[in-house]
Amino acid sequence: MITFLWTLIIAIFLVVLIFIYYFNKFIVLGNRIDNSLSQIDVQLRKRADLVPNLLNTVKGYAKYEKGIMKEVTDARKAIMGGNTIEKRMKAGAELQSALKSVFAIAEGYPQLRANENFLHLQQELSAIEDRIAYSRQFYNDSILSYNNATKQFPGVFFARLYGKKAKHFLQIPTESRAVPKVEF
Amino acid sequence: MADRISFHDQIQRNKIKSFLLIILIFIFFLILGYIISLILDPGYFFIIMIFSIIFSLSYILISYYNSDKIALSSVRAKPASKIEYSKFFNAAENMSLASGLPMPRLYVMDSSEINAFASGRDPRHAVICVTTGALKALDKQELEGVIGHEMSHIANYDIRFMTLTAVLIGMISIIAQIFLRSLWFSNMGGRDRDGKVQVGLILIGILFAILAPIAARLVSLSISRKREFLADSTAAKFTRYPPGLASALKKIKKEHIDEKERKKFASALAPLFISDPFKKKVSGLFATHPDIDERIRRLERM
Repeated sequence: MITFLWTLIIAIFLVVLIFIYYFNKFIVLGNRIDNSLSQIDVQLRKRADLVPNLLNTVKGYAKYEKGIMKEVTDARKAIMGGNTIEKRMKAGAELQSALKSVFAIAEGYPQLRANENFLHLQQELSAIEDRIAYSRQFYNDSILSYNNATKQFPGVFFARLYGKKAKHFLQIPTESRAVPKVEF
Repeated sequence: MADRISFHDQIQRNKIKSFLLIILIFIFFLILGYIISLILDPGYFFIIMIFSIIFSLSYILISYYNSDKIALSSVRAKPASKIEYSKFFNAAENMSLASGLPMPRLYVMDSSEINAFASGRDPRHAVICVTTGALKALDKQELEGVIGHEMSHIANYDIRFMTLTAVLIGMISIIAQIFLRSLWFSNMGGRDRDGKVQVGLILIGILFAILAPIAARLVSLSISRKREFLADSTAAKFTRYPPGLASALKKIKKEHIDEKERKKFASALAPLFISDPFKKKVSGLFATHPDIDERIRRLERM
C-alpha cells in the first residue's frame, strides 16, 4: 500500500513537472519573440537618428535633389511618430529605399562622395542595415520555434491547454541584404 | 525542429562534463597531496591535506571564473577597440543579433595566421578572439562565418568545457615542470631520507610529464568532430550564407605558416581554435578538428 502511495506521489510530481516545463517553454519562446521585435525597433530608431546628420551633409553638395530629401525626411518622421511597431517597420522599409536613392544620387557628386563625414555615415548606415536584416532573421527564427512548439507533439496538447496558438505574427519578409553599391 | 533538441542535449552534456571535470580536478589534487605527504613525512598528513583542499578549491574557483582571461593572456590577446576594428565589431554584432546571444567581449591577438577562438564560462561571460591575420585576410562574409562558428560554441557551452580542460592541461604541465626542476623540495623532508624523497618527487614529476600530453589527447577526443560540424552548420544558419565560412576555411587551408608563428600558442589551447594551429596537414583519429576539406565539402552541400 505504502509503495503504491509513493509511486502515485512520484507520478503526480512528474506530471506536475512536465506541466510546468511546457508552461515555461511557451513563456520563454514568447518572450524571445517580443525581445527580438524590440531589437528591430532599436535599430530602426538608430537609423532614423542618423538621418538629419546625413541630410545636412548631402545638402551642402546636392542642393537640387529636394524630392528625395523630402522622401527621407517624411520616412524618418513616420518612424519617430509611429505609435505601433507595425507602422514604424513600414516606415523603416520606406526609409531604407529612400536612403538607397540618396546613395545612388551621391554617385553624381564626386565631392560629396569624397566627404569624410558622408563616407562615415554611409558605412554606419550600411552596418545598421545589416543589423536590421539579422534582427529580422532572428525574429523570424523565433516565430518558427514558437509555432513549431505549439504544433509538435506533445507540445500541441499543452499549447491548447494554455491557450497558446500559433499566432500570426507580423509578416516581415527578409529583405535583400545587398548594400547600395557605391563606387569609391 | 530536430536541431533545437540536439542543441539542448549538447548544452546539458557539456554542463555535466564540465561538472565532472571539476570534481576530477578536486580529487586529483587530494590524491596528489596524499602522495606528497606519504613521501615527505606521514606526520605532515593533516597539514598537507588541508593545504591541498584549500589549493584545489581555490584553483577550481580561479580557473572557473577566469578561464577566459587565462586563455586570452596565454596568447597575449588585447581587447579590440571599436574604432580600430569596426569590421570585427560589426560582424560580431550581426552574429549576436542573428543568434540572439548577448554580445561577447572581443579580443585581437597578434598573429599572421588566420584563426579564432571563443572562451568563457557561459554566454553572458563569453569572449571571442581573432588573429590580426584573420581580420586582414577575411572579408565581411567570411568573418561573419567564422564568428558564427564561434557563437555556436558559445551557445552550446562548448567553451566552458573546452576552456576548463585547456586550463587543466596547462596546470598539469606546470606542476610537472615544478617537480622535475625543484630539488629544493627535498629540504622539507627528514635529512636521513633525502635520497628517498628526491627520488619520489622526481617520479611524480615524470608521471605528470607523461600525464600532460595524454590529457591533451583526451580533450581532443572529447571535443568530437561532430561538434565542429555542428558549429559549422549553426554558423551557416546564423549567416544564411554557407559559402562565407567555406571560403574562410579555404583561405585557412591555403595559408602557409612558418614554425616560429605556430609556437606562439600553447598546445593545450589547440582545441579552442577554429582550426588546429599545430597540425594543419595531419588528420586522423587524434586530430582535434575534422578534416578541413570535409568541412568545406559539407558547407558547400548546404
